[in-house]
Amino acid sequence: MNPTEIIEQFRIAVRDPFGTARTIREGQNRPVVGYTCTYFPEEIVLAAGAHPFRLFGKSTVMLKTDAHIQAYGCSLARAVFEDALSGELDFLDVMAFPHSCDTMQRLSDIWRLNIKNTVHLDLLFPVHLKSEAAQDYMEAVLERFRKGMEQVFQVDISKDAMQNAISLMNRIRASLTALYKLRAAHSASISGSDLSHVVQGAMILDRLEVADKLEALVSALKGTHTPTRTAPAKRVLLSGSVCLHPDIHTIIEEQGGAVAWDDLCTGSRYFDVQVPEDLPPIPAIAKRFLNRAICPAKHGGTTRRGGDLLKLISTHRIDGVIFLFLKFCDPHGFDYPDLKTALETAGIPTLFLEVETGKPVDGPTRTRVETFLQILNQREAAL
Amino acid sequence: MITCGIDIGSVTAKGVIMDENNLLATTIQFTGYNAGTAGETVLQKLLGQAGLKREQIVALIATGYGRNSVDFADKTLSEIICHGAGAHFAIPTARTVIDIGGQDSKVILLSDAGQVLNFVMNDKCAAGTGRFLEVMARALETDLDGFGQLSLKGSTPAAISSTCTVFAESEVISLVAKGESRENIIAGIHRSIAARTVAMANRVGLIPDIVMTGGVSRNIGVIQALEKLLNLPVTVPENAQLTGAIGAALLAQRAPNVA
Repeated sequence: MNPTEIIEQFRIAVRDPFGTARTIREGQNRPVVGYTCTYFPEEIVLAAGAHPFRLFGKSTVMLKTDAHIQAYGCSLARAVFEDALSGELDFLDVMAFPHSCDTMQRLSDIWRLNIKNTVHLDLLFPVHLKSEAAQDYMEAVLERFRKGMEQVFQVDISKDAMQNAISLMNRIRASLTALYKLRAAHSASISGSDLSHVVQGAMILDRLEVADKLEALVSALKGTHTPTRTAPAKRVLLSGSVCLHPDIHTIIEEQGGAVAWDDLCTGSRYFDVQVPEDLPPIPAIAKRFLNRAICPAKHGGTTRRGGDLLKLISTHRIDGVIFLFLKFCDPHGFDYPDLKTALETAGIPTLFLEVETGKPVDGPTRTRVETFLQILNQREAAL
Repeated sequence: MITCGIDIGSVTAKGVIMDENNLLATTIQFTGYNAGTAGETVLQKLLGQAGLKREQIVALIATGYGRNSVDFADKTLSEIICHGAGAHFAIPTARTVIDIGGQDSKVILLSDAGQVLNFVMNDKCAAGTGRFLEVMARALETDLDGFGQLSLKGSTPAAISSTCTVFAESEVISLVAKGESRENIIAGIHRSIAARTVAMANRVGLIPDIVMTGGVSRNIGVIQALEKLLNLPVTVPENAQLTGAIGAALLAQRAPNVA
């Protein structure tokens, strides 16, 4: 299978996530567990014989959600809940809410009261990831979720099943990392839009299928790559929560730039850091959650996110950072001024771009992105 | 080198032909619903005015919201980059450009050399733009040309608290019903636009000299309201409405990979 054919399968899953999940549920007779955040132990769901399924919110018109969530709630939470209220998610056996931001926590409460045909579970993870209790706390929450899965699906989750699931997810993380590195080295090897679809699709499709397809894709791209660019592209880093707007990649590429890396929960935060395979499964998963790239809904020290960003900028020779801000996202909104200052102090140009799920990239957004890339181009010409 | 810059805005389409730093032809017309056609008409008018043929134009850059509809352009650049270049050309000491057009407003920060360092654009609504003024003019049964002068006669600007065009229109109608003078209401409208622009400018930082471009720069009431709030002079270049087109023509003179 050539790279285009493999990528198209991920694109199809992103276009029709619910159809994809229904096929897995009915075709493989596997229950489906929905979730909303990358702080989610997919390994435990897989070890229980179920299918982990990330929700990105498909609804674009809110007919029912307004009665439950205010208009200034984030579009991701609102779209996910509209999907549920309109019956689009009836195939879900379990809906799990990792405690990320306050909006998702409240969505969890509203869901529990209003969506009756799925089992509802919360994962109340620690917020302060640097505290001495964080590892024990994290392990206790994961253990509770493991028992929850056993109870819901009436299965015993063996240590072997956990180890196999960890190995499988590590394969996926390794391949996604390899794909990102490939693109960071040769932006022409895979388009930003394609890569964005691949990462999203990896959270939708059957994980064994994902692991195989990703390994095939990495191998195919490594084999076929021929550098096509004569001038080095302006290297951009996207930072934020979800990026469900592949058009942004296209606009950047039209201006001679490329997203060389990202700090997104639909991107590198999904696959950052492996689960150690030499530790018992639950402590190993907990360790990954404490060590992986942090999101603003968690606390890891006042300078950790800024420090992490500067490290990514240096490692991947980034020319400019676009903060992709999901409208009304409080955690990212509160982090932004400090991150902007940290980057500007280091001489890194930034752009703040407000987006909403379900709304296309409009003219003013295109103008902002184009201008930012043109500023980066002018900077180079002036040097 | 003879170059052309075409700036397709939401309300007006502007164009210039330049030979180095000299303006050979200029034109301004309504954009209408077809930005591509507007661009073509602008080019024909410019060529006729300058007595030139298309092939004598070495490079043509299109800018403005309709830039991608100008399919005969050699290149497109965002209006922010072009307004920066145009403002620097007109007033070399310019470090901050306030550009208020028909459907959006922008504050652009320039380096000493006229390079765009940073920018901020208004949100996705008409608040504080030319469209906002058009709606207000209609509500007050006056025309835009007289708006600026009328506001200078206002002794006490009325308080307009809404930044939303629709809500501000309701507020204006309420003020009319209360018997507030038209001059004071218009002065209040200009102050609200100025306040919104200054708040936006503070997000990128504001460095003198301040230059204003775009269609709203024709409104003396907005200029004075801005100067009062900023406590700084705001300069309007001679061809303020053509700033984007002039910037595009100037940038077309550079090597294609510069901007």
